[in-house]
Amino acid sequence: MKEDWQDEIDSHLEMRGDWNQAQGLPPDAAKAEARKQFGSPLRTWEDIRAVHISIWLDTLWQDTRQALRGFRRSPIFSLTAIATLAIGIGATTAVFSAVDPLLFRSLPYPGADRLVSFGFFGPIDTNEFHLAGMYLDWRTRQTAFESMTSMLPAGTCDLDASTPRRLQCVSVEANFLKTLGIAPMLGRDFLSGENQPGAPRTALLSYDLWRSQFGADPNILGHTLTLDDQQIRIAGVLPKDFEMPQLGGIDVMLPAQWSETAARAPNSTIFLRTFGRLKDGVTIEQARERLQPLFQESLKGVPPELRPEVRLVVRSLRDRQIHEVKLASWMLLGAVLALLLLACANVANLLLARATARRGELAMRAALGAGRGRLVRQTLTEGILLGLLGGAVGCVVAWSLLRVFITAAPEGLLRLNQARIDLRVLLFTLAVSILSALLFGMAPAFERPQAVFRKFLVAAQVAISLLLLTGASLFARSLQKLETQPLGFQPARLVAASFTLRRQKYRTPQAQVAFYRELEERLHRIPGAFALSDSIPPRGSMGRPYSNIRIAGHPPLQPNGGMVGFRYVTPGYFQAMGVRVMSGRSFEEAERATGVPPLVLSLTLARRMFGSENPVGQQVDLDGLGHWGTVVGVAADAKNNGLSEPAGPEYYRLRMDDSIQLGLSAVALFRTAADPDALTPWIRREIAAMDSSLPVTVTKMETRVDAYTNRPRFIATLVGLFAIFGLTLAAVGLYGVMAFLVAQRTREIGIRMAIGATPGNIAALIQKHALVWTGGGVAAGLLAAISLTRLVRGLLFEISPQDPLSLVIAAGVVAIAATLAAWIPSHRAARVDPAAALRT
Amino acid sequence: MKQDHLQGTLELVILKTLSAAPNHGFGITLHVQQASTGLLGVEEGSLYPALHRLEKQRLIQGEWKKTENARRARIYTLTAAGRQRLTEAETNWATLSKGLQKLLRFA
Repeated sequence: MKEDWQDEIDSHLEMRGDWNQAQGLPPDAAKAEARKQFGSPLRTWEDIRAVHISIWLDTLWQDTRQALRGFRRSPIFSLTAIATLAIGIGATTAVFSAVDPLLFRSLPYPGADRLVSFGFFGPIDTNEFHLAGMYLDWRTRQTAFESMTSMLPAGTCDLDASTPRRLQCVSVEANFLKTLGIAPMLGRDFLSGENQPGAPRTALLSYDLWRSQFGADPNILGHTLTLDDQQIRIAGVLPKDFEMPQLGGIDVMLPAQWSETAARAPNSTIFLRTFGRLKDGVTIEQARERLQPLFQESLKGVPPELRPEVRLVVRSLRDRQIHEVKLASWMLLGAVLALLLLACANVANLLLARATARRGELAMRAALGAGRGRLVRQTLTEGILLGLLGGAVGCVVAWSLLRVFITAAPEGLLRLNQARIDLRVLLFTLAVSILSALLFGMAPAFERPQAVFRKFLVAAQVAISLLLLTGASLFARSLQKLETQPLGFQPARLVAASFTLRRQKYRTPQAQVAFYRELEERLHRIPGAFALSDSIPPRGSMGRPYSNIRIAGHPPLQPNGGMVGFRYVTPGYFQAMGVRVMSGRSFEEAERATGVPPLVLSLTLARRMFGSENPVGQQVDLDGLGHWGTVVGVAADAKNNGLSEPAGPEYYRLRMDDSIQLGLSAVALFRTAADPDALTPWIRREIAAMDSSLPVTVTKMETRVDAYTNRPRFIATLVGLFAIFGLTLAAVGLYGVMAFLVAQRTREIGIRMAIGATPGNIAALIQKHALVWTGGGVAAGLLAAISLTRLVRGLLFEISPQDPLSLVIAAGVVAIAATLAAWIPSHRAARVDPAAALRT
Repeated sequence: MKQDHLQGTLELVILKTLSAAPNHGFGITLHVQQASTGLLGVEEGSLYPALHRLEKQRLIQGEWKKTENARRARIYTLTAAGRQRLTEAETNWATLSKGLQKLLRFA
């Protein structure tokens, strides 16, 4: 544009120069004079641009006013279109705001794309880990990272204060924050010397703890706090929005103080979570290659039978954080985009209907001199205006939907609490609104005679709503299976009280034994079945390798058996949990005094170890350390891997009277015939009578189990909601087209009736049309469903993505909705009065 | 005279010039300068915004062509709408000046 203007000015100057020369000026002077006579080309440009802009704005304003006048003239059309778009855009915005922090928004660290989590990945844990001794080796020899750092698995500590509190305490390497690129908000970071065992202890407080416990005192630095009876100096405060890279909770950050000697000892079990910042230009793939030799070398330190099950993992911090919800997030985004597409198809349909009705108006305006370009512009303005209005109302819809999501399932999706409608989300909404407008705005360009494109749109809507319904019924059926599956234990009327003893107060074995003895005595007074355990389903405890197990008189077991979980329990465990003992017997109180500890195997473990042989009475060494014991019984499998995974092998060990093996953390279980809620204060009272500063969490087992179905329920609810929206829109769309066709064919219907067609014939004629398009849509929808639902296999529990029942339900619902939507117009057609129809 | 009146007059003069024959910006400049001293102001560049406005309103249409002097130039032609606008304006102007003449005669 600017070049063209410049060309024109140049051409003027040349011609003026020629002219001036013809008047007798020498060439140079002629050119100079021409420039003088022309004046400033820059100002000319600006003036020309101003002309173009003001004309553009004028036209825009005219188009906008005209569009708004048009909307006011047909309020039903406008309101339907805006409401449809508001649902589509609103739902899309709500889902985007929920998945944006997971999938797209950068993590809250500078240069976050270069942060990775790495380590060994084996059957012991769901995330990669490192062993301190090997980590030390890697740290000096690796070439992939600018810096690497570690933390001990998150733990708890007890804060001594007027009201004692249990806190989330994380011990880290001194360069932890530096590697993440974070500096304390107040005070200083850790110094490398503070990682030495015995160095003076310092701590960084989380922003929340600083506020709640210390009243946000700016002079807090140098003060001390007492954690686990140790005096610790406060070195600083973490920033307000600080997040641990593994997304764990944190109240206090401490320098880890494990000794290198202990780490390098042969049987060291110092586990670490390890993170690294990649060197500039090194990709994750390259980092994995560079770490491979170190990994291979470290693998030599792993027992040979475990080696095949251990691999090296290097993955982005984002993948480490969202690996469980990645698929769910993309699926929800896909589902809501399908809904948006459906909404656009619906509005396109409305626009086409209106275009037919307005054919006269447009023809008149064309005759009055409006160019084709001008008419296209007008249509486009109307579309974008509809999109923007829909988007604006959609923001309100999105905000309400987001509230619904959060209230319905706060734990439904990771970081759901961070979801909000902010500027970034609003920009997304704006883009979606305009894109939708272009999408449905193009519809009139595709229309052919006999409303072919409208029929195609209806079929597409039917197909999409069928797809959404299939998804909804798959997720609903999967959730139902998840919730009604046999757990192997009975959560009803079961209450669990969990606590962790304070390290300092119960340091000696005697103190622990005494505490548990008194606890058992006191809790036995509460009516019902009672037991103590160190952990409870549906989670397991950290296990031991299957290959370590020995059976007296049997050859060694196969390697590669994965891990075997175990729990220490008191004799009442099976009765209290409701786990069935299938053969042999349960533990007995008398066995706790002395002697060889008896063992109960889970069915899976018993089958794997003994096949068809009878396990009861066998002598086994389950940890490979020479702790031989007798198998006294086999118990049914109980879920110990969450609800969606099959139960893994595990065994039960009787907690002996003098045992300290329960450790500092324990769970007390009560099966009661009475109201479980009534038990809670009683349990609390008994424990408080022994140690009033001990925090206890008492929950009904049903609540605990429910927590495991939060995400599937969230997914099923959302997709169900979208399916209902989608079905409604598709039905409205079908109804609209049918009603339009009936109106258009009133004369034809009148003629048919005049020559003898019955009202039944006419209704059948209209319904046949509806049947053809919905049939096509259903067929396309089924094809799409069969090919797309495979992608969400990972989100389904014990149900095939091609589950025939789900497909049948979805197709049935669509068919019923379509029949209803077609019924009203077809009956209106049947009531056409031939005389009236033919006279008009 | 106020600037927009002047502008309106300039546009009218452009239309009138083009009604005789299609012409380029420089040709129009010469014609306007001869026909009405001072209307364009001192700077010849001020003709172009007016040309662009007229073109946007589809009263004239420009096209790149070669002149008889073998220079490339954008030649403007009056469109049907432009011709109509000119006729209207001339009628209005005639009515107005007739009214003025009467007024002046009786004043």
